[in-house]
Amino acid sequence: MVTPDLVSGEDIAKLIIPDDLPDGQPTLTAYIEAKIYDKEGHVIQYHRQPMRSPTQWLLALMAIPLIGTYSSSSSNQAPSFLVNVLGLPSQVNSYLFESYNSANISWDFSIQLGSGTQAFNPTLNSLAAPIANGSGAGQLSYGTVTVTYSGTTIYTYVTVINYSSTTINVTEIGLMATIYVQFQNSNNAYQVNKYTYLLTYDTFSPAITLPPGAIATFKVAISFSG
Amino acid sequence: MMIGKELNDINIRMPEDAYDIGNHVPTFNAYLIAVVKDSEGKIIKVHKQKSHSPTANFIGLFLPLSYFSTNNVSFTITNVTGGTCTYKPGLGGSPQDIAYPNTAYNHNTYIVMIQVGSGQQSNPYTATALAAPIANGSGAGQLVYQPVTPPSTITINGNTAYFYITQTYNNLSGGTITITEVGIILELQVTTYTNTASTNCGNILVWYDVLSSPISVPNAGSVTIYYTFVVNP
Repeated sequence: MVTPDLVSGEDIAKLIIPDDLPDGQPTLTAYIEAKIYDKEGHVIQYHRQPMRSPTQWLLALMAIPLIGTYSSSSSNQAPSFLVNVLGLPSQVNSYLFESYNSANISWDFSIQLGSGTQAFNPTLNSLAAPIANGSGAGQLSYGTVTVTYSGTTIYTYVTVINYSSTTINVTEIGLMATIYVQFQNSNNAYQVNKYTYLLTYDTFSPAITLPPGAIATFKVAISFSG
Repeated sequence: MMIGKELNDINIRMPEDAYDIGNHVPTFNAYLIAVVKDSEGKIIKVHKQKSHSPTANFIGLFLPLSYFSTNNVSFTITNVTGGTCTYKPGLGGSPQDIAYPNTAYNHNTYIVMIQVGSGQQSNPYTATALAAPIANGSGAGQLVYQPVTPPSTITINGNTAYFYITQTYNNLSGGTITITEVGIILELQVTTYTNTASTNCGNILVWYDVLSSPISVPNAGSVTIYYTFVVNP
């Protein structure tokens, strides 16, 4: 016998998150990259840093491809995990007509930039001071999000332009996810419920500076292979 | 302006200066733990290792809508028997997304099991099935699979958050069973929300690990596998 029997939740917690394994690359590594161009297209700033702050929402989203959306082969209820953690409905009320209609789930990523800072905790679900999409003072114009992948690494990009007349400092960045649950509701009308989560949160120090007319490309890369 | 070129300039490898080393702890880890008990229920071995191995199926399912829409591509899911299905999620009436529980027509997508096996393969990413799955049963070379227990919540302790999936297997085979590989199997069904089209992709392997050392389960003993996923450990 190498250890006493497991008798408590504390024993289990110590077991399943071992602290006696050799150091090595983590399962997931991630980094953030920002390239800033002036209005003439010259690179005026380049910044890259490790991403250090995944939230519980990243874990929760990862769980969907691992445990699925139904609690079992015979149940028409979502797993309690999706309900308890993500706040998703245990079941949506699809229009029942000769058993026609169903429901499905999907998600998308986006990058949110901000001008504030806040202490990290794994339940964070928004930036401290998000920079709005627009061309007004303190705003940035967000382009279309681009996502690519190579092997186990997923890259998410967004390009922003400072159309305002003042310099904008970006001090925080978040990879966001929006989950969509779509169905034909009980009124026989299309309905899509949206749920938004902050998957990762990081701060820039010093700030990323975008003078008027500047264009910046932000990239968040997450690699599941370490 | 070469923004477009920048977007296409994909780094295939993680840049060295982007690794989180030095004063910072790793931000995310997955662990594979196995607890082996003898016929009297006494723990005789605890196996611990890091897990590094999402499969291509997992990555394909984790990809967001933007990947499929902006690149106008689909992803081919391969199930454990080698069959394939096309995955191209989206919004609206045509795309087939992962089915969700509802009051009308359901296409159950659920975790089937943590499967154990006695083989191994060198590239977990491309694995679509265990090399040599150990069957569920009490015959020679078999293990009795207890139901898989998915997580019900995320546990938070300071900045650490985790969940785990666990399953126990009993050895009633009459001999010692050796486990060398482990994987998570998901039953995947996709559908349009109007149910005008649906596809049963079958059992798919979404996470796979070769054990760093084999685990021997004695006759009348058991083994419990824990897969733990943790941020900010």
